[in-house]
Amino acid sequence: MDQLLQHLLNGLLLGATYSLLGIGLTLVFGLMNVVNFAHGEFYTLGAYATFAALTLASVNFFLAIPIAIVAGALAGAACERFLLRPLRGQSIDTVMLVMIGVWIAMQNAELLGWGGVAKSVPTPFPTPPVVLGAVSVAPLRIFVFVVSGALILGAHLLLAHTKLGRAMRATFQDRDTAALMGVSIERIHTITFAFGAGLAAAAGALLGPVFLLYPSMGDLASLKAFSVVILGGLGNFAGAALGGLVLGVAEELGAGYVSSGYRDAVGFLMIVAVLLLRPSGLFARAERVG
Amino acid sequence: MKRAIRALSVALAIVLGVSIPSVHAQDAVKIGVIQPLSGPVAASGNYVRMGAEIARDWTNEKGGVLGRKVELLIEDNKSDPKEAATAAEKLIVRDKVPVIVGAWGSSMTLAAMPKLEEYGVPMVVETSSASTITKRGNPWIFRISPPSEMEALGLEKYLKDFGIKRADFLAVNTDWGRGAVSAFGEVLKKSGVAVGAVEYMDQAATDMNAQITKVKADSADTLFLTTSVEQITLVLKQAQEQRLALKVITTGGSSSPSQLIKQAGAAAEGSYHILFFMPWFPEAMPDGKLAKAFVDEWAKRGHPFEGLTEGFRGHDGVLTAVEGIRIAGKADPKAVREALWKVSVMGVNGPIKFEKDGPAGKESGQSKPSIFIVQVKDGKIALPAFAAKK
Amino acid sequence: MSRIALGLGLIVIVTAPLWVWNPYHLHTLIMAGIFAVLALSLNLLLGYTGQLSLGHAAFFGIGAYATALLTVKLEWSPWIGLLASAVLPAAAGFVIGRLALKLRGAYFVLLTISFAGCVSLVSVNWMDLTNGPLGIPGVPSVEIALPGLAAVSLRTKAAYYYLVLGSVALSYLVCLALIRSRVGRALVALRENETLAAAVGIDATHYLVLAALISAGMAGFAGGLYAHYTRFVSPEVFLFTYTVTMVIMVVAGGKGTLAGPVVGAVLFTVLPEALRAATSWQWQMLLYGVLLIGVLFFMPEGIVPAMRRRWRAS
Repeated sequence: MDQLLQHLLNGLLLGATYSLLGIGLTLVFGLMNVVNFAHGEFYTLGAYATFAALTLASVNFFLAIPIAIVAGALAGAACERFLLRPLRGQSIDTVMLVMIGVWIAMQNAELLGWGGVAKSVPTPFPTPPVVLGAVSVAPLRIFVFVVSGALILGAHLLLAHTKLGRAMRATFQDRDTAALMGVSIERIHTITFAFGAGLAAAAGALLGPVFLLYPSMGDLASLKAFSVVILGGLGNFAGAALGGLVLGVAEELGAGYVSSGYRDAVGFLMIVAVLLLRPSGLFARAERVG
Repeated sequence: MKRAIRALSVALAIVLGVSIPSVHAQDAVKIGVIQPLSGPVAASGNYVRMGAEIARDWTNEKGGVLGRKVELLIEDNKSDPKEAATAAEKLIVRDKVPVIVGAWGSSMTLAAMPKLEEYGVPMVVETSSASTITKRGNPWIFRISPPSEMEALGLEKYLKDFGIKRADFLAVNTDWGRGAVSAFGEVLKKSGVAVGAVEYMDQAATDMNAQITKVKADSADTLFLTTSVEQITLVLKQAQEQRLALKVITTGGSSSPSQLIKQAGAAAEGSYHILFFMPWFPEAMPDGKLAKAFVDEWAKRGHPFEGLTEGFRGHDGVLTAVEGIRIAGKADPKAVREALWKVSVMGVNGPIKFEKDGPAGKESGQSKPSIFIVQVKDGKIALPAFAAKK
Repeated sequence: MSRIALGLGLIVIVTAPLWVWNPYHLHTLIMAGIFAVLALSLNLLLGYTGQLSLGHAAFFGIGAYATALLTVKLEWSPWIGLLASAVLPAAAGFVIGRLALKLRGAYFVLLTISFAGCVSLVSVNWMDLTNGPLGIPGVPSVEIALPGLAAVSLRTKAAYYYLVLGSVALSYLVCLALIRSRVGRALVALRENETLAAAVGIDATHYLVLAALISAGMAGFAGGLYAHYTRFVSPEVFLFTYTVTMVIMVVAGGKGTLAGPVVGAVLFTVLPEALRAATSWQWQMLLYGVLLIGVLFFMPEGIVPAMRRRWRAS
């Protein structure tokens, strides 16, 4: 029983991080129809930005995270403005390939700039784990879980209840009508992509300290993000949040009770099952967007 | 179709153009180096490269070899066997190197081996641990790193001191990790130690909590951990989080304990590490002066101290290659191969001398490297009491 | 004029081993050829049915393992191995095609990624079958053994070059025949407007499955060629980078054309090697990424269609 509880806890904590990765991508993939293979690279950027802020500029840990998010959002905005906008109208494959190019370029730039040695991010949290009955968890991970939840909630509120959020949803539901209603389509595209990139950077800033930083850390993140997006349904925000948790728990239980070698297979098989049986996602609702 | 043919011709032209050799110092002796300089184990590959560069510079300071300077041609195998084979081909054919040092991971080394045989060029294997490398009957392979079996035998004499009754394994899911599990498992079973949980983790995985939970549920007293320092850091931290109370012994020599202490902190306390170089106690190495000089030079170049436990491999690899060329008297691959059998030189790890290994008539060379154990105590590296001066 | 160019080009290609004296370059060309077959296979799905498969490395890998296992463990002839390397993945492609018959677009993509991921994990973990991470070394080279004559080993680069060249030509012809046939027209109809196609009675599932089958078989055959050339097969053949490379070749070369993937394959095999020779290892892939973005920026529909446009305009 203890083992099961610990597995479940592991899964939830892991899943929260997957959710964070997924919600940024579901916006970009689901709303903008961009297959963003560079999503993991914004994640990596966020992590390295945190590291840079902490070690090079000696910024407070709790300030470094927002800095990283801003860095990610700016990078995303630049990407959209200079690469995606000129290619708007091109086939989804061309855009996907451009993002693959960005992925390769960014990762190798990071390798060049930071070197291949993994870096660890210093945190102000104590290391001894917090004991909750039979299970234990590090304080840092509790912090990450809470902040992830807050970010997800905040993003949802922005999308659902602000003018900007409405403009975003309108643009992707019916572009021409939105334009007629006075929405600046170009700006919305840039903002949406920046938003997605910023969320990815947030995930990186939060997870960097939990794990380690190295240039190829984004590859796995991208893959998990795509899985979560499919599980939750394209463009379905709440779906991605829940989908992340489901994936995390499923992976943990699979690794714990079936086989650790085939751990990732659990995720894949779930995706296959969802795709074949319920392609609009586990949590599809009537309204596709938001 | 026309376009295809036209493009193909253009491509051929590019390829030809690129075949004009770039300007190297015309009379330098070139040694090829193939390492994973990008990807999940980029750190290790780069450390090996740095060590190789020190050996090159030291050799050149002493006048080079055969009166010529030594030049290293460094290629990145990107942790991909196909790249390793291509890099080997390029080094051999385009750059005409008489010897190569590489390729870190066992799969990479195995992929490059057919090229060595095809063109007849020897390679000094500095890190790979799969036993098949020297047992496949490839006479162009000369390995200075220990195969997992040798490493496990090195542990055998300390088993009583460790007092292990039941052990679990957590290894990276590569030939290295699996080889270590099987080799150490054999040694343990021979000594009557029970083997409990055997878990694996993907090379790029960052969350090992599931595996740790399973190990925790098994009532062993020791955990053998085989992977590189990044994952060891994560495992130790996550093990601490789950309050795992086992004795940890890492194998494979890529644990870089100094980096572990920095990044895992208290989680690394008490862990043991099997290594092939002890930069904290250079005097305890077979050639204390050389080891100390290497540590000092490494620091002088501003390289991170943590990299020493792997960087020495590059040094010893290039040292061996240079010695082979010196004995051969010419930078010719076949002559160098003959010469490598006669090499008897002192590296940072210890004496390097090759013995025959593998099927008769096509033996590879295998040296017997020295194996050490250290422990993390009070946030510092110490020689375990039972291992001091054995 | 163009006939002469065509003829010259053909002569250049066919006689390459004679005057490309550097074996390393010949190696690059052989790899380009193997990737050309791969790119053509992916193009069948992507260019002509509009469905993107990001799991094609799985078929490539299954083909490589199929022939490696048959020729090393069972010691069968490499020709049978090559045949298996096409047939087994084709069977897998058939299954995937049937399973995925409801899915389109992004969902199909993710299904293929998941399939590839699963196959990759099996190759790493099922030690008894695949030798796991250690891989299968010692795959024999292909031999031509005609009765009565001495066996000719296709071990030399020149010989292998011709084998690969022949395979590229064969794949090209298969694709050409398929595109020109009723099947091809049905596929294009599906790509352009599936609802309309269905309305006129074209069975989407049937044709998609057929396309998937042939595409997978071709990709597997490329895997077989790879296995007998590099003579070492390990789980790294399932690396995502192979799929990415394939996609780059098809899309940058020009999807929906037949010359595009071939051009893309040659260009994007030669390019990394040219970069490897021209720059140090730190800059090789960074420049590659930048160049890729550049190519797509200026020729978003692909190199071949862009050139065709220019030719037509002039």
